[in-house]
Amino acid sequence: MISLNDIHVTFGGGTPLETRAVRGISLTISEGEFVTVIGSNGSGKSTLLNTLSGEVILTRGNIKIGDQDVTRWATAQRAKLISRVFQDPLAGSCENLTIEENMALAWYRGQTMSYGAALNNKNRAIFKKQLARLGLGLENRLRDKMGLLSGGQRQAISLLMSALQPAKILLLDEHTAALDPKTAAFVLDLSCQIINENKLTALMVTHSMQQALEVGTRTIMLHEGKIVFDVSGEERKGLTIVDLLELFKKNQQGEVLSDDSLLLG
Amino acid sequence: MSTIAALGALESGLVFALVAFGVFMSFRILEFPDLTVDGSFPLGAAVSAIMIVSGVNPWLATIAAFGAGMLAGIVTAFMNTKLGILNLLASILTMIALYSINLRIMGKPNVALLGETTVLTPTESWGMPYYMATPLAFSVVVLVVFFFLLKFLNSQLGLAMRATGANARMARSQGIHTDRMIILGMAVSNGLVGLAGSLFAQSQGSADITMGVGVIVIGLASVIGGEAIISPKTMLFALVGCIVGSILYRFAIALALNADFIGLKAQDLNLITAILVAFAIVAPKMKASISSRFSRTKQ
Repeated sequence: MISLNDIHVTFGGGTPLETRAVRGISLTISEGEFVTVIGSNGSGKSTLLNTLSGEVILTRGNIKIGDQDVTRWATAQRAKLISRVFQDPLAGSCENLTIEENMALAWYRGQTMSYGAALNNKNRAIFKKQLARLGLGLENRLRDKMGLLSGGQRQAISLLMSALQPAKILLLDEHTAALDPKTAAFVLDLSCQIINENKLTALMVTHSMQQALEVGTRTIMLHEGKIVFDVSGEERKGLTIVDLLELFKKNQQGEVLSDDSLLLG
Repeated sequence: MSTIAALGALESGLVFALVAFGVFMSFRILEFPDLTVDGSFPLGAAVSAIMIVSGVNPWLATIAAFGAGMLAGIVTAFMNTKLGILNLLASILTMIALYSINLRIMGKPNVALLGETTVLTPTESWGMPYYMATPLAFSVVVLVVFFFLLKFLNSQLGLAMRATGANARMARSQGIHTDRMIILGMAVSNGLVGLAGSLFAQSQGSADITMGVGVIVIGLASVIGGEAIISPKTMLFALVGCIVGSILYRFAIALALNADFIGLKAQDLNLITAILVAFAIVAPKMKASISSRFSRTKQ
């Protein structure tokens, strides 16, 4: 349903600083799949996500969502098909707008904005109900500015925002990386709940092999801009980190993976 | 202060409340430092003056001033969004270009409007002296603009524009075409300033090529001063703050100039403005640090 066909991304092509971030990735994601993406720093995980969201232009290849070729579409155009949670909680919401205004933005995602009032009793009630499930008391603080909240609270709200309107795919970009372990676990759990409830297709980039195996239905690993392995279904159940390391070694002809944060995270 | 001086301050305060609205939209809503206003203010005046002197209906002339201001804003926004020129620089370029354009429009540095039919001519039959009728007429204009702006800023489109200024990357991920928002916002902002220029020229009796110098500072003084007095918790408070700030600024200037013992003269106007604006920016911070010191000593 979402297919990336032989995509290449090169930054600064032809200059001494040329970086080939993605070197020929082809990936097909079916509806309802929850794919986790792991890889060491510089493997191209975030670039891959950014090509899907439209923030990075492909050097080669194309991307199709459903039947539509979205390769040339700008981020704003793709927004009705793609929703995203950023890694930095501060970048994923507007700190000078209130909680309800931020949620209203997500509520109108992908629609033509009209001159009608942005907030009304109907959508406020929906926002309140959604916020109540977080159990953080935020449903009583709809008119507080987003900037007053902590990173974890903002990330939780960003997650709720991403599911307010139906999207073909949800992109989670290391969204728990900036949070403390307890909050990270809470946000991850919430992510799984939301993905299950809304039957979303999701792509989650994570820096932790543990996390990548715990959640989702399929795991792919990137290394130096290519997919090194891709496991799902029966083969994936019961895999441990050690197994993943073996898989990596096998596919990379003996090269050993020594990224500590990937293994210990 | 005499009644006439006070009403004069009120009249200027109301015209420049429109400028404050414009500066609020660009500077606060879009986070776009916009110096175009130094050019779009006299542009509005020039366009209206030339049209009025040529016998065109003054209402049409005033609407044309709004349109001309919008064009100036669109040019700046275009240079920023499509040509990638830094926002401040783009606005300076437009402002400088407008100096020549305004001279071309007027044909000379000054166009007199005394004796011409302006939008204020009907107020002569209102049965009160001009120094009361004009502020009254301007309050109606300001109130109308205020209501339209408030409705707009609380609409979905207004929210999209506010998001563009608050966090453009996040706004794009929510499907907002941020380039279009910037162009729209700058158009409305400078349209309002052009309208203000037109009304100002019609009330003063002339359009002059230098009347735009320092408009950005007056606008910022009004917006920031207003925020110091009325905390901008919602769009309503923010817009009311613009009006209050603009009027208060004019009163502060009038008081400073009337206070003979200080010995200030009209040429000290810019110095007084600079001090007032600096004070308006620093005062809330001083207030906060004083009150936090009190709460510390209470413990």
